[in-house]
Amino acid sequence: MAAVAPSRLAALSRLRCEIFQTAYNPTSVRTGAKYLRARLRGPSMINYYPEQLTVPRFNHMAGNFKIQHWDEYQRLADVEEKKRRGKGVPKKAKSPAESRRQSRKR
Amino acid sequence: MPNVRVLRDLKARHGVNANEILRRAYLYVARNQTLPPQVRFQAQLQLNTFGRYTRPTTVKNRCTETGKGRGIISEFGLSRYQFRLKALANELPGVRKASW
Repeated sequence: MAAVAPSRLAALSRLRCEIFQTAYNPTSVRTGAKYLRARLRGPSMINYYPEQLTVPRFNHMAGNFKIQHWDEYQRLADVEEKKRRGKGVPKKAKSPAESRRQSRKR
Repeated sequence: MPNVRVLRDLKARHGVNANEILRRAYLYVARNQTLPPQVRFQAQLQLNTFGRYTRPTTVKNRCTETGKGRGIISEFGLSRYQFRLKALANELPGVRKASW
């Protein structure tokens, strides 16, 4: 059997690409096409966690009809109670010198 | 109420979704060997300016019930213990406890 000339093989692959509508790339140069060809993953990524109906979301949707957010109410009440007993959040440092980070032992 | 790690993951998911097309375009230019190196380099620099929460690798599938990050059975999106609880409560269609 006679060997086929390389130029004939190249012509064959070019014709094949034309027929099947693929890019003719005999030297396998990286064209970055795979980044355009791949499907977008973002839309399915957002839908991973099932949507949960929370009180603020319900109140946002409902318009005039509101329901009391008891957990938030309790949390704010607890914060007030802590502040009253002097156990609240420390004041924000105005300068690096006031910062507690400096005085902390290493 | 989702815990803070789930919220961070959600932030990453929305960031990825918002920036995906632009990132893909830059990736295409940066990885395309037929373009001049200078252009590719500029595209790579642009890619580096994207924040942490725009990369798809930042996104992690966490347990949809508890927010746990490890031991997730991906088919159900649940951590292994939540999977067991739900399976025993017959809340997962087609899942039964093995017995022979």
